[in-house]
Formats: sequence, C-alpha cells, structure tokens
Amino acid sequence: MEYLVTFLVILTMNFFLPRLMPGDPFVHLSGEAGEEIAAFTREQREYFTVYYGLDRPLREQYFRYLAGLMRGNLGFSYYYKNDVAAIILGRLPWTLLMVTAATFLSLLLGILLGSFSAWRRDSWQDKVTYLFMVVFSEIPAFLLGSMLLIVFAGGLGLFPLAGAMTHFASYTGWEKIEDVLHHAALPVLTLSLARTGGIYLLVRNTLTTVLGKDYMRTARAKGLREQRIRYRHALRNALLPLVTRVALQLGGMVGGAVLVENVFAYPGLGRLMREAVFVRDYPLLQGIFLVLAFGVLAANLLADLLYRTLDPRTREGETYGKQKAAKTEQKERSHVPA
Amino acid sequence: MSTLEVKGLGVTYNSTGRAVRALEGVSFTLAPGETLGVIGESGSGKTTLALALMGLLEKGERVEGKVHYGGSELLSLPEAKRHTYRWKRIAMVFQNSLEVLNPVLSVEEQVAEPLARHLGMKGKGLEARVDELLGLVGLDPSWKTAFPHQLSGGMRQRVLLAMALSCRPELLLVDEPTTSLDPIARREVMELLERLQREDGFSLVLISHDLACIARLARRLLVLYGGRVVETGLTEEIMEDPLHPYTRGLINASPNFFAFRDLWGIPGEPAGGGTVGCAFAPRCVQSLERCGTDTPSLRHISPGRQVACNQGGITALLAARGLCKEYRLKKKVVQAVRDVDLEIKHGEVLGLVGETGSGKSTVAQLLGGLLKPTAGQILFQGRPFNAGATRREKGIQLVMQDPFASTSHRFTVEQTLREPLEINKVGGRGERQRRLLEALSRVQLPADEKFLRRYCFELSGGQRQRLAIARALVMRPALLLADEITSMLDPSTQANLLRLLKGLQNEEGFAMLFITHDLDLARKVADRIVVMQHGAVLEQGSSHRIFTQPCCCHTRELLAAAFGHSH
Repeated sequence: MEYLVTFLVILTMNFFLPRLMPGDPFVHLSGEAGEEIAAFTREQREYFTVYYGLDRPLREQYFRYLAGLMRGNLGFSYYYKNDVAAIILGRLPWTLLMVTAATFLSLLLGILLGSFSAWRRDSWQDKVTYLFMVVFSEIPAFLLGSMLLIVFAGGLGLFPLAGAMTHFASYTGWEKIEDVLHHAALPVLTLSLARTGGIYLLVRNTLTTVLGKDYMRTARAKGLREQRIRYRHALRNALLPLVTRVALQLGGMVGGAVLVENVFAYPGLGRLMREAVFVRDYPLLQGIFLVLAFGVLAANLLADLLYRTLDPRTREGETYGKQKAAKTEQKERSHVPA
Repeated sequence: MSTLEVKGLGVTYNSTGRAVRALEGVSFTLAPGETLGVIGESGSGKTTLALALMGLLEKGERVEGKVHYGGSELLSLPEAKRHTYRWKRIAMVFQNSLEVLNPVLSVEEQVAEPLARHLGMKGKGLEARVDELLGLVGLDPSWKTAFPHQLSGGMRQRVLLAMALSCRPELLLVDEPTTSLDPIARREVMELLERLQREDGFSLVLISHDLACIARLARRLLVLYGGRVVETGLTEEIMEDPLHPYTRGLINASPNFFAFRDLWGIPGEPAGGGTVGCAFAPRCVQSLERCGTDTPSLRHISPGRQVACNQGGITALLAARGLCKEYRLKKKVVQAVRDVDLEIKHGEVLGLVGETGSGKSTVAQLLGGLLKPTAGQILFQGRPFNAGATRREKGIQLVMQDPFASTSHRFTVEQTLREPLEINKVGGRGERQRRLLEALSRVQLPADEKFLRRYCFELSGGQRQRLAIARALVMRPALLLADEITSMLDPSTQANLLRLLKGLQNEEGFAMLFITHDLDLARKVADRIVVMQHGAVLEQGSSHRIFTQPCCCHTRELLAAAFGHSH
C-alpha cells in the first residue's frame, strides 16, 4: 500500500516537473541551452502544439497521461518521433548492466574492506584504509570518472573513450561479451568506487558494534573456530543494515549513473535523459523518470522482503510466536520435576 | 575432574584510556563437585572474575596471577589454545540479556555449535543430543527452531544452561542465573541447577546478587568488594554472623534472604579498585584512621573463615560481661538482671525483646549509666565503662519511652536541645546553634527560629519524641539506647519515627539498642535479636535465624503469641 501511494506521488511529479522548465518542446527543438534556434515557423509550432494536445488545460493533459499509462502507453516522443517505450527499452539494458554491476562490485569491495578494518580496529591498517576510503567517497562520481577517463582511456589507451560497443564491428559470442565488458569497465568502476566508501563505512561501523555485543562474547566462550565466529556470528548480523542501505542508496546510484553515462558517453537511460531535457521532450522525460522510479521502488520492495528472511525478528507471525511461547512455557512448568 | 586453583588473580582494564583495577589478588580453590558463591555489589568484579577464568577479557586488559586447572595454567595459554578448555572443560552461563544469544541464529544452531566443534558430532546424532539437552533443562525440543527473540526470559535462561552443559563441562561458571526471572522461573532454575549438579557432578561458581539463591546452592562464599576478596567462609556461617561490615550491609540489603526486615542499602558509592588503604573505609561504620592508609589482607579468623579487615571484622562497640542488678527490698532480693552477656557491634541495630518485667529496661539503664550494676563489667569501645561515656561526643545516648517525662514541658525547644551541649561543654556558641538546627532538620522538625522558641508542652507526642531523639543526636552518639520509644505513639507516627530513626542510623552508622516488646517492630528493624526472660538472656542471634529457626522454647512461645502461629 505504501508503495502504491509512493508510486502515485511519483507519477504526479513526473508529469509536472518537465513542464515547469522554461521553454517548450518546439522552440527548443534542436536548440542547445542558451541559444535559441527556431527550427519551426510560427504556424508549424502552433500546429504541433495543438497536435500534441499542449494547448489544453494542464488538468486535462494530466488525466490523459494517467489514462494512457493505464493502457500501458508511455506516449510518443516529440523529438525522436517514436514510441517512448521502444526508445527506453533500447537503452535500459545498458543502465541496468551498469547499476547492477556497480552495486555488486561496490558491495564486494565495501564488505571486504569494511570487515578488514573492523577486525583490525584502531591498528594502522585500519587507519590507512579508513582515511583512504573517506577521501575516496568524497570525490564526486563525475570527477572520478573524468580522471579515470583521462588516465586509462586517454593517456594509456587501455580502454575505449566512449560508447558501449565498438561501432560497425560484428563480433559474435565471446568476442562480443568481451567488447561489452571492455567498454563497461571504466563506467562501472567509476560508479562502484563512488559508492564503495559509504558501504565500507557502514560495514566497518556495524561490524564494530556487533563485535562488542554480548553474543559475540558467548561465541568466543564456546571455543568456536575463528571463521565461524567472524562470518556466521558477526558478519551475518552486520549485513542486516546493509540490505536497507543498498536499497536506499539505489536512488543515488541511479543519479550517479546518469552523470557517469554522460561522462563516458555511455548509451544508457542517463544519456537519453540529458538529450530529452535539451529538447523538452515531455513524454520521453516522463517515461524515463517513470522507469527509473519504478526500478528504485521495486528494488526497495525486494530489499524489504530480503530483510525479512535475513532477520528473524522482522518475520511475520511474530506475535503468534510469542503467544505460543507463553503457552508452552506454562505447559512446561507443570512438567518440570520439583 | 580437577581442582580449580586461583592465585593472586588481578585484572586491570585499560580500554577506556584510564586504568581501572577490576580485580586485585583474588585467590581461592574449588574442589571437584563443590559450589562456590560469589557475591558483591555491581562493579565489585564478579563478572570480571568469571571472564578472566574463561580467558575472555580483551587483549588490552592486563591480567596477572595464576589459574591452575587440570594440569595447565590457563592465563598463560595463547588465544589459539584456549579452545582446548573452553566449553569442553569450563563452560559459562552468561548473565541473561536480550543479546546474549545471537539474534539471527536459531536455538538449535547455537546449542549444536559447540557439540559439532568440540565433540565432532553431526547429523542425526547431533540433532538427538540437542533435543536431549533441551529436555534436560525442561524445554520442549520443538523450541529448537525458535529464534532468541521469541523466547521468554526464563526460556532464554534454560537455553543458556543447555548450551553451557552441551559438552558436559567439569566446571560451570554461572553469572546471575536468577536475577532477571519471575519467582516461579527463579525457583525452577535453582532446582534445575541443583539437580543437574547432582547428576553431572560439575563444580560450580555461582555469581549472584540473589542471596537466597546463593544460600541454597553454594556451600562456600566469596565476598568481593572493589575487586578484592573481603570475606570468605562457609555460606551458613557468613549469613548468620558476617564478619565484614560490607558483608553485613549486603545481607541487610537483600529482601530475598529475610523478607520481613525493612530494606536498607549500604550508604555511599562503591569504590573503584586500586586505592590506598581499605577500599571500604569511606563507607565503613567503624573505620579508624589507619584504615585510610593500611590495606588489609585476608586473615584467618577461624578455620575456613577469612576476612580482610584491619580490625579483624566487625568489632564490638559495647560488651557487657556477667551483668547483674539486684534490688534489695525489705525482706527479699529481686534480681532484675542476672548474669547478662551482651555485645553491641558497630553500626548494628540490636533488638532486645522480652515480656514486660524481663529486665530489658534495667539493662538499658545500666548501659546508659543511670544505674550501677551490682556485678559485672561493661566495656565501651574497648575501655571500661564510666560516666564519661554518656557525656561526650561519640558516646552513648539514651532515648526513653515517655517523651512527656523525658523532656521538660517548661523548656523551649531550644533550651531542650542546647542543654546537653552546655552541660557537657561541647562547641562554642555558633557551633551549638548550628548543631541544634541540624539535629532538628534530621528528625524532620522545622529548623527555624520560630520553632526553637516554642515550648515543649505545645508539641504533640510524636513531635516531642522526635525532639528527644534530636536531643540525643546533637551529641553525635556512637550508640543510641532506644527504650520502647514508640510505645506511646499511634501507628502512623510510630512508622514515621522508626523509618526516620532507622534511616539516620543507616546513614550515620551509629549502633542502636532497640528495646521493645513488640516483635513485629523488632523483626522490621533489628539486625540481631536478644531474647530476655526473668532478667536473663535466653537466646541471641541474627534476626533471620531467631525469627525463622528459634532454638529456645520461650522464644517460640513469644513468636507464636506475636505472629499467631507456631514456629
């Protein structure tokens, strides 16, 4: 239910936000920011305005938009003269690839370094790692991306400068995958590094807190293997807040992706969004916002479900369990020999 | 099975940046199958002791001394080797808290873990053993799939116990097994510990605030204060006759040990360890100058009984030997007091009970110097008693039954209070004024000029009795003789007055001889009881013993008459 309400709010903002921008699609068609190149005559503009229904009151436009959505129709792009859904579908996989890969990579790095630091809390290794990560996490993604681009792609020529695939090449099978990965490497790395800092700090802090808990002392007293104490007892508990964190961060991740895609001229949704903003392509913008918002919400829902299975305390039927506890205990009391 | 031998165990915590001495020179031995109780206030080092034995103190903490167990010295073992004795030989039941069990692991997994690790059990055998263990502690095996948050406190305690017993340890350390439990669960856990120890024969170190639990399970007792052992001996002897003032304070503060007495804690804040001199001195009712500089060590007082006190334990403030008082009437001799031996210890309330005419008041008057004994000797603060004892500070003061007779109705409040100071030439003008205002506020009378100018006849009975107490308190007595002080007051005034007096006594640490024929009152107020009949002492002992297991048949008769059922 909360998700439904959130979704409706997002839809509404989706609709109004692009329309708050100055200018209109037909003045700005093919116009860069600042300069106005009128590509259309006055008559043509009036014709388009009426054609796309932009002369109607906002309220009517809004309900039309909603009605269209109900039928699964995202609209028709003014600029690309194509179905919005089709355009987005063409770009979505690239963004998805980047965000997913970056999430996993940053998680992996963050957890490894975070637990490394927590086990060695206050040693020089911890202090060095900590300093490094704090500095790193403060560098904005686009700056980091530009640096990587200049050094590894521009200077050393190890990676391609732009794009997601080599143009005009007809690779197949492994070669193709290799090519895609080669292109994705720098953007993914940029996005991951920008996110690792936060995860590192969270893991380091929660793990340090967990290490001071009573149950960690219990585990040590039981003479268990170090591996088991660290991973089964400590890390298992420390990862709980991370699930929530990753889900919450996903919005930021997508925002980061938009910037990084533009730095690397990576053909994902972020780049498409920039183009759409320039030309005030309302339906396309709305479509992109919608898809991104939907994605983030879905991920949050997923995280909620995941958390529930990971933490027994938030599982359903808890109250039932407590009642059962009270009952059985009473029963047991009568069993215990005096 | 081996003997646990602890020698000079000391622990210093460094983690907070400031070194805190948590344990100092703790030594004891524990024979196989024996139970040792460890008591002390929070922060006295009880849990630290257990953690040190388990090798669970953090790396930064300094641990010294020796712990010999089963042929090896545990403290010098490297961390990597500790698993060889942890849980398999020495296991611990941690203090019950929400987070003592891992919240995301099931009960089964947590109980099974050490079995898999130390005994190499797995599969069906492991599962069966977990079921067996849960059954052993009285928990239905179906609970194994539960998670810690689904358990009640009592069930969690059982899981902790099952977990600790899993590898059949030879030595079990149990930290506060009953304190967080309701009465039923508490009784069950005590019975469980008793039964399991009988069956398995493990040695037990029982750490607890719960004196009733300790008295029931532990044969020997270790009393910790500020990280040091201040008293050790057989539990029964310590409970009946505590030697260290701290031990006595602990017993007096425990409602679960003797429920009838009013609750009074030890005044003052617990000391940290590592101070010069006796750590308890600032809170001690009998501390001397040297207690601030000499650190007492444990000394044998009697076989198996040790106490760490510069004065060898609680000393007698007043001792009467062979006290007799005869009245010669025309043709016969009335022996009002016959051969009474009596001891009033520092800081205690001694209840003197008996029927009317049993000689109670005569004893009070002999001790107060109002009558001369026919025979016998009275020692006050170690010196023969003379009239001076009632005339100086830190001496003896007497409060009598009838405030209307003991305070002159023609005097003002100020005159009444000032008189003893003037007669005994205590202090200057300002000092006297300050003292009498202080005494008034102590007994919760208005401490202002207006009240000072009031005449005694204007006051109510309760006020006048409080005034009489204030008059005794201006002399800052070491011993207060209170002879039936509340018998003329209504119950509410009596309750207020007694709580006030007991509070003052507890705070200032003076001793009190509380004479009454009202056993209900004596049971509430007194630490020890002396029973008199026909001028002679019939029985004396700690109030919990006298009131629960009286030896003398006259005492039983008195109790039966007072409480309506025979003991």
